[in-house]
Amino acid sequence: MTATFDNLKPGDAIEGPSFLVSRESIRLFCDASLDYNPLHLDDEYMKGSFGKTTFGGIIMHGMNNFGLISRMLTDWATPAGAVHRRLETRRLKPVKPGDTITPVGIVKAKQVTDKSRWVVVDVAVNNESGEKVAMGEATIEFPASAKAS
Amino acid sequence: MAQAQSPDPNFETDFWKDANLRKTWDEIVPGQPRQTIPYKLTQEAIALYCKAVGETNPLYLDEAAAKAGPFGGITAPPAIHILLMFACTPADDWMRSPGTVNAGQSWSYNIPARPGDTITLQARALDKFIKRERLFVVHDNVFFNHNGDVICSGRGQTIRPL
Repeated sequence: MTATFDNLKPGDAIEGPSFLVSRESIRLFCDASLDYNPLHLDDEYMKGSFGKTTFGGIIMHGMNNFGLISRMLTDWATPAGAVHRRLETRRLKPVKPGDTITPVGIVKAKQVTDKSRWVVVDVAVNNESGEKVAMGEATIEFPASAKAS
Repeated sequence: MAQAQSPDPNFETDFWKDANLRKTWDEIVPGQPRQTIPYKLTQEAIALYCKAVGETNPLYLDEAAAKAGPFGGITAPPAIHILLMFACTPADDWMRSPGTVNAGQSWSYNIPARPGDTITLQARALDKFIKRERLFVVHDNVFFNHNGDVICSGRGQTIRPL
């Protein structure tokens, strides 16, 4: 069912499609984002230590998590006439080739302002073990013109 | 492995090149604007981004469907700033320093970017700090289209390489 501002309530869940992370998907993200940081390309470099952190091999771009959450939100909002207005995320764990990650969201709050209507959504990306690899918060605008369908 | 068509064929993909020209955490001055370069967004670059994150929405990919949609033509997904950030960043900028780790960000979206837009970036380091023996820099960024409209604005934190 398409979401409407009136029928949404805190606790409602959103889920996006799962994404299999591979060396190829990471390389494709390099080409699509122009982010060729050796963190995502160079296994030898990634055997080293980064101050307090070691990774042991290449890692997925943190912004790939961001892109998956954003895709989930637009797929959810656009059919409802709603607009993805804000997304905040932070990385919790590195993601590596072979991981399968899934973006999820839970409606947290609704707000009506002078000129519009807003839904705040807690978001996260989980790996195949159910661990959160990224989390954050999003804001979706449901303009008054976004009618129930 | 076959390489995809790059959104910018002139882009330097070796991030080690010019690494010595880039500012370190010590040299970055909060408040100082970053030099940026305009970037012309193409339908091909949008399609490649969509492929990388599995976007299949026809509003981003199909001219006929997009024409009948809310924006009257193809638009980029909101998170296209992921590409724009590097497309508008020159090779000697500290954002390209190898080992830069993304620690988090927030982005606000105004209007969508479209193929054919010449996009400019106003950006700067806003703050820097030390936390748990790691060196952080806060950066802020606003992307504009060639009409001067804000596309999106964002703030992020990176952990700087030691």
